[in-house]
Amino acid sequence: MKSQESASTTDAVVTERMGVRIVALLLLVASLSVFVLWTLNPVGSGSETTFAIYLAIDLIAFGLISYVDRRVAGEGKIGRVPLIAGCCFILFLVIVGFYFWP
Amino acid sequence: MSESEHGPAESAKKAPLERLSGWFDDRLGLSYPMLRPAPAYSINPFYWLGALAVIAFVIQGITGMLMMVYYVPSPTQAYATTQYIFQDVSYGTFLETVHLYTAYAMIMLAFMHMMRGYFVSVQKKPRELMWVVGMLMGFVTLGFGFTGYLLPWTVVSKSATDVGTGMLNALPTQVSSFLSFLVVGSGGDSGELLRFYDLHIVILPAALLALLAVKMYMLESHGVAEPVASSVTAAKRKLIPIFPDVSFYLLELAALFGAAMLLISVIFPLSLPVEYSAQAAGAYTAQPDWYFLWVYQILKIQAFETWGLPVALGAITLVFLALIVLPFIDRGETRLIAKRMKYITLGLIFVAEVAVLTVWGRLTPGQVISNEQAVLVLGGTALLVALGSVVAYRLVFGGISRATRASPPTGGAAIGAPSVQSALHSASLWTASSFVGLLVLGTFGISGSIGAVAGMMAANATSPALLDSLGASLALISVTVAGTAYLVYRLDLSTGSIKRRVRAFEVGWKE
Repeated sequence: MKSQESASTTDAVVTERMGVRIVALLLLVASLSVFVLWTLNPVGSGSETTFAIYLAIDLIAFGLISYVDRRVAGEGKIGRVPLIAGCCFILFLVIVGFYFWP
Repeated sequence: MSESEHGPAESAKKAPLERLSGWFDDRLGLSYPMLRPAPAYSINPFYWLGALAVIAFVIQGITGMLMMVYYVPSPTQAYATTQYIFQDVSYGTFLETVHLYTAYAMIMLAFMHMMRGYFVSVQKKPRELMWVVGMLMGFVTLGFGFTGYLLPWTVVSKSATDVGTGMLNALPTQVSSFLSFLVVGSGGDSGELLRFYDLHIVILPAALLALLAVKMYMLESHGVAEPVASSVTAAKRKLIPIFPDVSFYLLELAALFGAAMLLISVIFPLSLPVEYSAQAAGAYTAQPDWYFLWVYQILKIQAFETWGLPVALGAITLVFLALIVLPFIDRGETRLIAKRMKYITLGLIFVAEVAVLTVWGRLTPGQVISNEQAVLVLGGTALLVALGSVVAYRLVFGGISRATRASPPTGGAAIGAPSVQSALHSASLWTASSFVGLLVLGTFGISGSIGAVAGMMAANATSPALLDSLGASLALISVTVAGTAYLVYRLDLSTGSIKRRVRAFEVGWKE
């Protein structure tokens, strides 16, 4: 019983550590996307698409950071699937954003 | 800690910022829990569909205010200024696209919020008036769509609005002239556009905000409605504070919703249709936007074309009225889906009919629908859904009630009883959801195939597009039939109801 408890605690800590690392990465991505939004030329052709994609990246990153914070403060366990799926989607959007770069 | 409690000597020791925040705290009560905590089970997107609709409203407010800077509500300048926003304003197309798609999302979310509330019967005591206010908010949301659609002054928007306002003529003369004066005015096109603009940016937002405040007040006093599950665990009942837990959850939903809106706007950018003129309108088949297509499709039925129009409008009004006063019609105390077959079936029929009419309306623009075809499609859909619902109830809830009757919780078994009930409830919800999904697929398939065949008959020829549509519809029907057969087979594994019935009719069953 005791070993089970300690195992589940270790799992939670490992997940929490992973979450904290991902939050750091997400903060970096969000900062970079804010920088991209700041440098966009609003009258340039094609910049609308880039603007929308990088703003979406920012919003998703914010959503994931809030998710991690809420789960850590609450149950102490963070679901891996939403985090990994969210990060993969952000990566996909970054690549698409480069494709539409004005 | 208040200043008054400690006296001037102690408060003077505090830092200026702390004293300032304390001053505000004493007067505004910021550090006290202002809002009722929410139960843990409400951390679920289905509980916040209405909140998402409000978030959509906020996004519309922001994008709309930015467009107001350039837009001029006059028939001679409305189209030109909209075109200016599209072509010359930085991120103008993006602004217009996000505004429109968020409006669509708001309407869809409001509809989903209403139907979810209907199916889980949130309108029961003491939330009857919350339901009524919510319905009024839904009508205001539709009003936003109707008034906003005219503003670009394109041939599409003006023709659709003319169809909508033309319906007023079917009402008794006094009512018709009063409503026409209220909505359209007597100043011709310019008066109509100005009135729609005023409604869209001042009157409807004010009405929505007032209704929202009333609904929030009632939500605060009654709290979130409990789930319909018969057993909710203690962990799920645990109360969590609005700030930061629920607030952060809502922010997450808002962020994901905003990102989805942005990406949809990128994938499907808008293009401005041609400007309205009498000549352009003559060459265009008038059709309302998708959320009014189901009403328009009803009015296109042959029987309602001339003398029957007031009857059709009366029937649609009755449906809306019935929805508004639903809490006073459905007065039973139980909220369990298993015990509300009549209302659940009626709700499913309503959703299926609206879906079929919308798709059908999209497929047959401007065509008059024959009475026979209307009876066949609408009656067939209602019959199919009703039969499906009855079968699903018998298979799902019949099996569960037998299982619970067969094993009453006694002694040690009582400890596990809630989890068994919860598992059964979860299984029943999954099965019912699968059936509803299959029914929706089936109705789309049937309406699509009927539309394709009707198109072929009307054109007296086959075209690749119609053949594709027919093929897709038949494929949908095949998927529905195969899915239903599989689901019934899976259900039979646990309940054995098919075997029993086959044995009862003595047609032979090899065990």
